[in-house]
Amino acid sequence: MGGRGGGGGRKARNFATFRLFPRAGAADPNDRVFVRVDNNDYTVPGFADEDSFDPSLSDPSAGDGNFHSASGPLPEHVRREILELGLPDDGYNYLSHLRELRPAAASSFVPSSTARPEPLPLDVKAYDASRVRVGPSDGELDEGKTMCKVAAKTAPVRRIEKAVDPDVVRLLDESDVSHVGSEDEGLEEDFVIIANRAEGEELEEEDREEMEEWNGVLSDVEEEFDFEEDEPKPRVRRLLDEQFDLLALEEYGDSDDDDRVVKDGEYELPSEAIDELKLFQSQNVCVDEEYRTPADFVRQKVDSSTTDEVDESARVIKKCAEYAERYLNETAEEEVVVLVSESSDESEVWDCETIVSTFSNLDNHPGKIETPGIPRKRLPRVFPGETTTTNDIIKLHGKEKLPVEYLPQRRRNGEKEKKVKPVEASVTDKFKKGAEKETKEEKKARKAAVKEEKKEARKAKKELKGLYKSETQKAQKVAAVTGPSSIRLM
Amino acid sequence: MAAAAVYGGFKGRKLGVEDAPELQLNRIRITLSSKNVKNLEKVCADLVKGAKDKQLRVKGPVRIPTKVLHITTRKSPCGEGTNTWDRFEFRIHKRVIDLISSPDVVKQITSITIEPGVEVEVTIADV
Repeated sequence: MGGRGGGGGRKARNFATFRLFPRAGAADPNDRVFVRVDNNDYTVPGFADEDSFDPSLSDPSAGDGNFHSASGPLPEHVRREILELGLPDDGYNYLSHLRELRPAAASSFVPSSTARPEPLPLDVKAYDASRVRVGPSDGELDEGKTMCKVAAKTAPVRRIEKAVDPDVVRLLDESDVSHVGSEDEGLEEDFVIIANRAEGEELEEEDREEMEEWNGVLSDVEEEFDFEEDEPKPRVRRLLDEQFDLLALEEYGDSDDDDRVVKDGEYELPSEAIDELKLFQSQNVCVDEEYRTPADFVRQKVDSSTTDEVDESARVIKKCAEYAERYLNETAEEEVVVLVSESSDESEVWDCETIVSTFSNLDNHPGKIETPGIPRKRLPRVFPGETTTTNDIIKLHGKEKLPVEYLPQRRRNGEKEKKVKPVEASVTDKFKKGAEKETKEEKKARKAAVKEEKKEARKAKKELKGLYKSETQKAQKVAAVTGPSSIRLM
Repeated sequence: MAAAAVYGGFKGRKLGVEDAPELQLNRIRITLSSKNVKNLEKVCADLVKGAKDKQLRVKGPVRIPTKVLHITTRKSPCGEGTNTWDRFEFRIHKRVIDLISSPDVVKQITSITIEPGVEVEVTIADV
């Protein structure tokens, strides 16, 4: 490099620096211009000639000769433009605030499809009088008649379309028309069919055409037919399919038949079908016009009968005779009586659980639902706390050797008596042993003592009940849901 | 200066074939900077190519060392947890291309190659 020639020296700042900035008001971010970023005196004519920024940054020489907004009146063309836009002519350059619309920019005008003109205010009523013809001569004016005429031709209108610039209206109308046209061109009514057709074969087209001839309904039938045709192809063809196709061909016209056989190898019948058909043909097809019965063959009334045919016919006749006999015999026999035993309610001991669980009654042991009894105290009559009446001995009775007194109470009187008896007996036994006779005081004392015991026992019970109240509440809840409704635990 | 003058003369003769000889020649320094190396290199290559097509003297892209700006922050928005740190960096690549030509030509060249994200600064000085 030849020295510091001219540029970048400390003393002589003979250079100008420009930077690429995006143009102000431009939609495209890649639209950039050179803007001067230094304050040297060096001038470069013709480099950054457009001043999109406020000219305060750049020197006057760098620009096109754009005027400072403060200095003097604006040039005529600028003023005219401002006025055209409808902005006031007050010496300010409003054009600097304008944004340029580029065709590539994203701001394209799309007329709003949901825009509705404002509805009328409630105190205003509008009528469309465009159809009223105003007569030329005033002399015929008869108030009544004209009123009627006007009223007849006017129609109330709910919404007034706002007055818009005719140019704008024309533009909008044009765009509407163009849209409609494009729609017509873009989508056919049966575009689905066309799309399917593009994939499928000509076959489908022909079929569809035929269907069109018969029905008048286009879309539904065509689509169904198309789908039906497509489906069997990927599946392995069975004998049944072949037979069905044959049938379809027979019934639905011959033109398809030709195309199919010619075009696709798939549609040729498999060999087994052909063999069967041959058999069928050989057996019964009556070549002659006359109807032939097996008897004819047997009796050789037919000229062109082979031995096979004769034998076959004979066999057929024999079999028929057998069947007939059997049938006759069957009808002669008694009919088989089918006994259907109806289930009676009494004999039924099954319940839902048994049936649903498919276990027998013996396994399920369903209980009978009984009316719940009055809840009795389940505690034994003789409380362990009663010291005066307790026995040292707990007596066991019965085969099972159970402490009868302490068992849960039964309602039967007999048992009560049994319970009562031993208690009393034990009490009396004891005292008989001790003292021969009871004096009144002793009796009183005894009874008082018993009362005390019972009182204390009651207190204890109450305490206990209070202690476990929450537990009983929970248990009551559970019992309310699961058990019989009359169980009351508290 | 002398060398520059010689060069200038030489240049003038060459330019005379294609363009008008009155064109002022300047020493132009184009500084390109970007975060994105790929775009930057592309723009550089285009500029050099464009300049060479117009038979200008080009001093090829000088690569200034990349400036890496580091930002190291705690990952956590609160003070809780193990003290993990994020290390972010911001790389600025810079290339300088020197040309000797008239400003118009340079403007032409730079207007063609516009890549987003590349900042272009042009310094024009006397030859």
